[in-house]
Amino acid sequence: MNDPEPDPVPADDALLAARSIISAVRHEGTLAPAQMSLLAAVLEALLDVQIDPAEIDSISVQSLARRAAGWSDEFKRRTVQLMVLGELVLKPIPPDVARTVANFAEVLEVDDQFVRIARRYAQGGFGLAWLDLQQSGFVEHWQLAGTDQLKTTVKLEHQLAAGVEDTQLAEAWSAFRDLAPGTLGRGVWDMYRGRGFGLPGTNGGASAYLAQHDFVHVLADFGTNLKGEFEVFSLLGRADPDPKGFAWIATLIGLFETGYVADAGFFTSDLAEPRLDEHQMHVRLADALYRGRVLRDRLGVDLLEVDYHEHAGRPVADVCKDLGLVPKSARARDAGSPGAFDLDGMTTKQQAYAASLDAA
Amino acid sequence: MRFSQEMRVRCSDPEALVELLAEWDRGQATSDIMGYIGTRLLADRDRPGHYVILAEFAEVDGDVPAADEAERNNLRHETDRWAAKLRALVDDEPEWLHYDELYRTGVTGNLRTG
Repeated sequence: MNDPEPDPVPADDALLAARSIISAVRHEGTLAPAQMSLLAAVLEALLDVQIDPAEIDSISVQSLARRAAGWSDEFKRRTVQLMVLGELVLKPIPPDVARTVANFAEVLEVDDQFVRIARRYAQGGFGLAWLDLQQSGFVEHWQLAGTDQLKTTVKLEHQLAAGVEDTQLAEAWSAFRDLAPGTLGRGVWDMYRGRGFGLPGTNGGASAYLAQHDFVHVLADFGTNLKGEFEVFSLLGRADPDPKGFAWIATLIGLFETGYVADAGFFTSDLAEPRLDEHQMHVRLADALYRGRVLRDRLGVDLLEVDYHEHAGRPVADVCKDLGLVPKSARARDAGSPGAFDLDGMTTKQQAYAASLDAA
Repeated sequence: MRFSQEMRVRCSDPEALVELLAEWDRGQATSDIMGYIGTRLLADRDRPGHYVILAEFAEVDGDVPAADEAERNNLRHETDRWAAKLRALVDDEPEWLHYDELYRTGVTGNLRTG
């Protein structure tokens, strides 16, 4: 069977969307180098548009409004979110860029909270923006999400807070150790053991909700250093049928690239080095977004709501096939995207822990 | 230029003050963007029970000064309702002061844009 593909976007619409995204995030007529590289990679991966963003003619909001009248609501909203992505990597975000994106969103009749959040960043209202991101992105989403897949009976006060003791849940995760190598459950157990992560259900272990994303690390073959987290949450966020999934990537950019988010509960800001300033990382992020888009169109379920425990005893490749998760592209691999078990995909601390296990 | 509004209050229940401010912020966060960008609550170490609330305002679109944005905020019904709750919580009538910001430590230029 061929790999699944996303629903095609007509070439004219794809080019129009690309033009509008580039036009919206230009500052004084130009793009910053990071925007140029990121948008070129993302537009090619998601819209199959191969362009040099610097060479694209701007389009006015009026012209876009007229020509995009036939777009679906979701396509409009996803287009606006790519505009937001293109401005979130700027530090600071020029107020006129944030305002232009808001104007484009308005003519597309898109009411997206991430446009407002970017405007708050541009204004300097970082605390209020984080409250907005939490409430509009995560909290509302959780209120609608199911929790049976988490296998916990303990009500989570905060979905992303460190786990609390839940013997039944801890036993379920410990049992993954006995599964055959190559299965999803064993892969996740190996990943936890190899990095010294606390199992969900143990005191201070991972939140049962957040641990869901660790299954995706194994399935999608992403590392667990911060670049790997960018990849996994880009995929997760774009795969979510609810556009609020964009909150994940918006939060990670704020935490690990621009510093607009100081502490998200599950991660604390780390700006030790820029992570989204090189083209290779843009290619990796674009591929993760593409894989998420395929899942959005083929699976149509938030990956954090999938019951991975049901699939724990099955080979990873079979689970990927059933979900419709396409493999990482050769381009992303060539750009240096490490796998879930590669040393390059670990943080320094995780590498040291892994080395201590080898030495023992 | 940013603008700050200071409210000096005397209060025996600082936790209620914190909750009042947090409640306001939760409401503002998901509302249309306007001049208000955040608040700090400071306790006077030398005078127990005395507090300063510093509300900060910034331009939204560059065509309305932050001080005018603050004035717009003062005219909102929800601001009236919040001020009534504040008055019910504090011991005396709050003292209101208004400041234009002339200097701020920190980054104001382009740090890194990739």
